[in-house]
Amino acid sequence: MTSWYQRKRTRELALVACFLAPALSIFFLYRLLPLGWNVLLSFQSWSPLKAATWIGVDHYEEMLLDDDVFWDALTNTLIFIGCSPIAIALALAIALLVNSDLRGAAIYRTIVFLSYPLMTVAVGIIWRWLYDERGGFFNYVMRSSGVIDQPVKFLQSFDWALPCVIAADFWQVLGFYMIILLTGLQSIPQHLYEAARVDGVPAGARFWRITLPLLRPSIFLCIVVGILNSFTSFDLVYVMTNGGPGHATELLITYIYKAGFGQSRFDYAAALTVVQFLLLVVLTMLANKLSGGNAGSLER
Amino acid sequence: MRRAPSWPRHAIMVVVSCLMLVPFYWVLKTSLTGENIYAYPPHIVPVDPHLFHYVDVWYLIPFPRYLLNSVIVTTMAICGNLLFNTVAGYALTKQFPGRRWVVLLFLSCMLIPFQATIIPAYLITSWLGVLNTYLGVALPLLSTIICIFIFKASFEAVPKSLIDAARVDGLSEWRIVVRIMLPLSKAAIATNVVLTFIWSWNAFLWPLIVIRTSEMQTLPLGLARFLSVMEDTTGALFAFVVMVLVPGLTIFLMAQKEFIRGLTSGATKG
Amino acid sequence: MQRRQLLKSTVAFSAATVLSAPAIAQTPKKISFLTWNLVHLEAQIKGWIQGFTSTRPGVEVEWIDKKGPEVPVYYATQLAAGTPPDIVDIQGALGLEYAAQGALVDLTPRFAAEAAIKGRYDPDYLSNWVFEGKSYMVPYYVSKTLLFWNKTRFKEADLDKPPANFDEILAAADKIKGGDKTGMLTLNFDWLYWPLMMMNGVDLLSKDLKTPTFKTAKAEEVVAKLAAATKSGAINSISWTGRWVEPNEAFATGNVGMLQAHAPAFFWIKGNGPWINGETLGAAQMPGDWATPNSHGLGISKGSKQPDLAWDFVKYLTDSDVAMQFSRVASVLTGNKAVDQAILAKFEKDDPLAFQVLKTQVEHTDKMCGNWRLGNDSRVKDAFWPEFQSAMLGRKDAKTALADAERRVLRELKRA
Repeated sequence: MTSWYQRKRTRELALVACFLAPALSIFFLYRLLPLGWNVLLSFQSWSPLKAATWIGVDHYEEMLLDDDVFWDALTNTLIFIGCSPIAIALALAIALLVNSDLRGAAIYRTIVFLSYPLMTVAVGIIWRWLYDERGGFFNYVMRSSGVIDQPVKFLQSFDWALPCVIAADFWQVLGFYMIILLTGLQSIPQHLYEAARVDGVPAGARFWRITLPLLRPSIFLCIVVGILNSFTSFDLVYVMTNGGPGHATELLITYIYKAGFGQSRFDYAAALTVVQFLLLVVLTMLANKLSGGNAGSLER
Repeated sequence: MRRAPSWPRHAIMVVVSCLMLVPFYWVLKTSLTGENIYAYPPHIVPVDPHLFHYVDVWYLIPFPRYLLNSVIVTTMAICGNLLFNTVAGYALTKQFPGRRWVVLLFLSCMLIPFQATIIPAYLITSWLGVLNTYLGVALPLLSTIICIFIFKASFEAVPKSLIDAARVDGLSEWRIVVRIMLPLSKAAIATNVVLTFIWSWNAFLWPLIVIRTSEMQTLPLGLARFLSVMEDTTGALFAFVVMVLVPGLTIFLMAQKEFIRGLTSGATKG
Repeated sequence: MQRRQLLKSTVAFSAATVLSAPAIAQTPKKISFLTWNLVHLEAQIKGWIQGFTSTRPGVEVEWIDKKGPEVPVYYATQLAAGTPPDIVDIQGALGLEYAAQGALVDLTPRFAAEAAIKGRYDPDYLSNWVFEGKSYMVPYYVSKTLLFWNKTRFKEADLDKPPANFDEILAAADKIKGGDKTGMLTLNFDWLYWPLMMMNGVDLLSKDLKTPTFKTAKAEEVVAKLAAATKSGAINSISWTGRWVEPNEAFATGNVGMLQAHAPAFFWIKGNGPWINGETLGAAQMPGDWATPNSHGLGISKGSKQPDLAWDFVKYLTDSDVAMQFSRVASVLTGNKAVDQAILAKFEKDDPLAFQVLKTQVEHTDKMCGNWRLGNDSRVKDAFWPEFQSAMLGRKDAKTALADAERRVLRELKRA
């Protein structure tokens, strides 16, 4: 009997292994192996035509002590992340509005979500055009309504460029946040609200006491998406400003790309990658802590 | 029970919807208008609307060929995702030693941005000998972590009794997946299809590097061509943007109901 | 005995087969050719390749084209994988960087062996890619900056000729500006704005390329003047933020007095500016005849398995016959003196305005600046440019910006 059970168990384990193998091998080949390679490379001096030599922490030293652009890129990345709660709050407001028994809610929902499936390169092109000095929508509206009399060069301005790129990113990702939050809202049991209403709890308090706490896992997911997004908005920045003017819209990811491919410093880019990865891990853990340790909702 | 009137909510949502649609309208307008698009002031409605820009695109680049390449790569990615994510998701519903580690591994892989892995990824692909092939483009896209978790969540929602009954009937594990789990996970499938579609259809940097010849280019690469510095094709650029976006939007609109349901059941409820 | 014989011959035979296998596999000699943004010439390039292979049985040429910003990415991955394209078309100083990294074949011995090839070229253009005394590239198509001026805008401002010095540029720009109009634009990528500095005697580096020489009172004055002009609208700020399309577009609207750009910009703005003709547009040298080159050259990758064949192909592409056809279809000059003379003669007859523009490209080739033969040009550029840009857009004053730029440039020079 035991041997039958063991056989069954072995077979099941073999099955699990077979089922996991393809996905694991893809992630091994295209995520873990490159990451390990990057870690190794970050301690070496290497270029495609030069044998690697061990140089210790030189790259990290240069990055932290001697590289203004790294700090610019880091600051911008953190601003990018820091702004995502605004988008999440907006998305939450929209989700609350379309979650009700509003007629046509499905249509509104579709419209808000419509920008998410778009190609990011195309989103960049569209928004660059909206910001254009002459043919662009914003300058046209503001000029013709008399708000301004000189066109604003949004993407050419040190002050405006980053907010403009962030706005484009908001536009694309808002619908995704909304869907995540909507799901969270729909999973909140109705009877809680009924009970609160019977007890005479005002609507505002119902939101703060019931909705928000129960939405925590969804909000956590939104924050993670926001963090990942600020690290992967490469296409958007690449098309809209390419990091400029100066380094006003430089993100870590665009700087990594520039260091690697623009300046052929793959070793240095690898060190930047490692720092970015560590930052991501720390931020995600922090978000998890703040939202009450619900990251497990992904894995239960 | 007293009800708040619904018109203020409608009013807000109409405004929000309009704001969300402005970029779509503006690019569509630009692609159709006959005026000089760089002249100020622009017109709100297209002047002398025409399709010349679209015709231009058609002649400037081998659009059907790019479309075909994109379709092939995306189809491969979707098939790979459905197969690999289903089985991986199913495996994760089982208890086995090291399960925690596998989950942790998946979660941490999510945090590695692809842009940062280009050179090693390229070397690996070259080592596998699939550069400049559809497989080479699709390979890193063949499985998606978030979709594995969506499948896992969806499978876990299937009543245990149903699975046990199937076991008693002598169905193999594989059959259980195909006959019982999948039919009950339509929403997860739709989500996976749409997400994979979005990601592989829009992939830019990876195909840029893996593809050598112009016959193998996908649509986003065609788009980048239009940003090319030497070409006087700015009107056509916006026409091309519209042409690239339409397939993605169509797929999304067709599958949106299931897709949204799948996302909601998988990603947050776990 | 017989058996042993058999065994021996079998071994010998199979060894021969194994050894000869690579030789068989190599019989069709294949080289690859990477071009930089020439996809619009697909038909012609395929034709030229056909012409090359038809006389060389068993030779195959694979053609790859990438857009400018993608070429470095592509080439880097290919180098890393050990499969670089045999022949590469590279723009500007990037060729020097690849040479410095050891990616390119030193062509000096080839030029020395074939004086006729070397003799084809304008020595000034040829020397664009001399790194540490060695030649790495054959000119493919060449260009340098010049000043386009909008005669209508000049007339309105009571001016009738292009400015002759730096202060005249600023004065003219100031007179032209107003409303939607601005006085002056320049392209800025690579070092294309450098003539503005050079005409004031400001150079980036010392002759030995070891010390920055731009932190002087004069340089501060020039930068401050340019920044003030930008602030007042005399210089259009797209000059410091746009890449290629935006500045050219702005000039093509007809609202800008001057554009400092290289010759290819002419065909672009002409296509976009219906107002452009011989009466309305002038082309002149910048004051002091300074210009920054932005040329394309053909190099051979060190990783090439067929360097001789690759050299043959380079010679074929740049010989008078093919170069002439190329020059015609692409409206470019090639640096090949005979070809350029012929094409200029043709333009003089068919398109006087284009002739006026292209003629500037073969004049004063000894006054090229912004071309420092650095092995780490892109890093020095990335160190200098953001500071310069900050000064132009009023984020930093001239003194601070130049001091910061010097600090950063020094750091890059030290690292190299």
